[in-house]
Amino acid sequence: MYKRLNELNFVIGLFFTIVSLILLVGSFISTQLSGRINIYTGIVFLIFGVFMILIKGNKNPD
Amino acid sequence: MKLAIADYLIILVYFAFVIAVGFIIKKKIKSSNDFLSSNRNIPLWITSLAFISANLGAQEVLGMVASGAKYGIMTVHFYWVGAIFAMVFLGVFMMPFYYGSRARSVPEYLRLRFDEKTRGLNAVSFAAMTVFSSGISLFALAKLLEVILKWDFDVSIWIAAGIVMIYTFMGGLTSAVYNEVLQFFLIVLGLSPLVIVALQDAGGWANIKAQLQPELTHAWKYMGNAESNPMGINFMSLIFGLGFVMSFGYWCTDFLVVQRAMIAKNMNAAQRTPIVAALPKMLMPLIVVLPGVIAIALMTPALQSKGFSIPIAADGGLDYTMTLPSLIAHYYPSGLLGVGITALMASFMSGMAGNVTAFNSVFTFDIYQAYFIKNKSDRHYLQVGKVITIAGILLSIITAYIAKSFNNINDFLQLVFSFVNGPLFATFLLGMFWKRTTGHGAFWGLVAGTVAAALTHGLTVAEGKGGWITELYEIRSGMGQAFIVASISWVFNFTTTILVSLATKPKPDEELKGLVYSLTKREPISKGRWYFNPITLGVLLLLATILLNIIFF
Repeated sequence: MYKRLNELNFVIGLFFTIVSLILLVGSFISTQLSGRINIYTGIVFLIFGVFMILIKGNKNPD
Repeated sequence: MKLAIADYLIILVYFAFVIAVGFIIKKKIKSSNDFLSSNRNIPLWITSLAFISANLGAQEVLGMVASGAKYGIMTVHFYWVGAIFAMVFLGVFMMPFYYGSRARSVPEYLRLRFDEKTRGLNAVSFAAMTVFSSGISLFALAKLLEVILKWDFDVSIWIAAGIVMIYTFMGGLTSAVYNEVLQFFLIVLGLSPLVIVALQDAGGWANIKAQLQPELTHAWKYMGNAESNPMGINFMSLIFGLGFVMSFGYWCTDFLVVQRAMIAKNMNAAQRTPIVAALPKMLMPLIVVLPGVIAIALMTPALQSKGFSIPIAADGGLDYTMTLPSLIAHYYPSGLLGVGITALMASFMSGMAGNVTAFNSVFTFDIYQAYFIKNKSDRHYLQVGKVITIAGILLSIITAYIAKSFNNINDFLQLVFSFVNGPLFATFLLGMFWKRTTGHGAFWGLVAGTVAAALTHGLTVAEGKGGWITELYEIRSGMGQAFIVASISWVFNFTTTILVSLATKPKPDEELKGLVYSLTKREPISKGRWYFNPITLGVLLLLATILLNIIFF
């Protein structure tokens, strides 16, 4: 895991995953964040974040 | 606008990540080339996204949304006329010289192709421009946070500058480039929900077209006459002024963006960097122009019930700069509001870091090493690069405070930059494609172009600006004036360079190999898959761009 911090796609994926969790968890536990738009955006961010984490960043053909 | 704990949390997570990137990259910095030019070791997808992100600063994001509200869909010309063609030209024709010459910067290419004085002129003007641009970006961020969140101006300046300084000082150019890519995704993904929600609220594109005057929803239809469109320019001024002079002058010669392609792993990747970047650039109007058009539609009588409005400026007109913050405040609830504010901050910080890293490369290589201390160890230049990073940030902070004290300083600086940048492409065009061009020709051409730009501005007036010599000719819009100033300066540079070159002695052919088109052996075009070929990619992009222009005609 620590080695993967050198991969930019992993760092970006981790960032969006954390932000998505803030949005999703927040929308369930706080009335301030309860809008549907937070849930939809959180889900999209989570999918994007996990996708970026799963990409093998060092196998770039260039 | 009031932030909740979740919003602050998202902002803090972003700050933590950009700083962490700096610390991670720090371990890889061993030489001045690692710090100042990333040792030409960055993969294509990163250089491409950094290329576009370096241009995705706050002035771009806020400015294009504002232009979308003010001029309507015509604002797409800044992308589909004023960017894609130049980016493809850079990739196909110019990158082989920038990358193949092994120059570490654009001014260094000018020294190899022409002479020391041309490099010096370009290096000094570029260094001044970048540090001032960085300061203006910082000022705009602090001002925005002060207006919309009531944050303290001084605290905003020092925190934003401090964070940019930490990650650029730690990881140099690589750190700035990595963060630019993170910032790119944050800006695009953070602002996309806004477009979707606002578009839905406005009743879709068909309803927006029905509510707005037709001049605001057609890109070309009303450009036959300057009087009949909101930008106040005709198609000839647009194509030559924006599509050729300003666009090629910026995308093909500005080291801030070209640097991102120069750090690619190999020639093919360097050529494809601006071309791959042109794809998201082509789609960027969806994120930065469309919201402006939606905003102005939401203010029409039929949609007034939606409750959206753009604030009124001091002069009584709409404060278009506040269009994007107003949309964010209107549509984003807590949580997503934090994402939107972070995206705005990212665009400011991205613009600032891009300027600072370009500044320290040019200052260290083209000013300090060229004119002050020449033959020192690599470690010495690495240390100088780090010190210059701090100096660049401190100068940016000083500029930000000057901008705060003098309201007109921003306009003045942007104007001076346009005088210097406008004619620059003529120098490169002649230098790369006409071997007879001499160093004296290039230098005096640049001087003549800059003087011509200043004189044109001093003799014309538009929206109360210019005419500081005498008001000889009135132009309807400030934008039209900018295109005319750039066009005239380009013609003066082009003509002067040719005349002086014909009267002076050119460099021998031997010294120009790899620097001039006719004297450079062309590498065979890649026979691999089609997407490895810059020409194929470029042609496809140009066709797509032409198609978009037809669709939104």
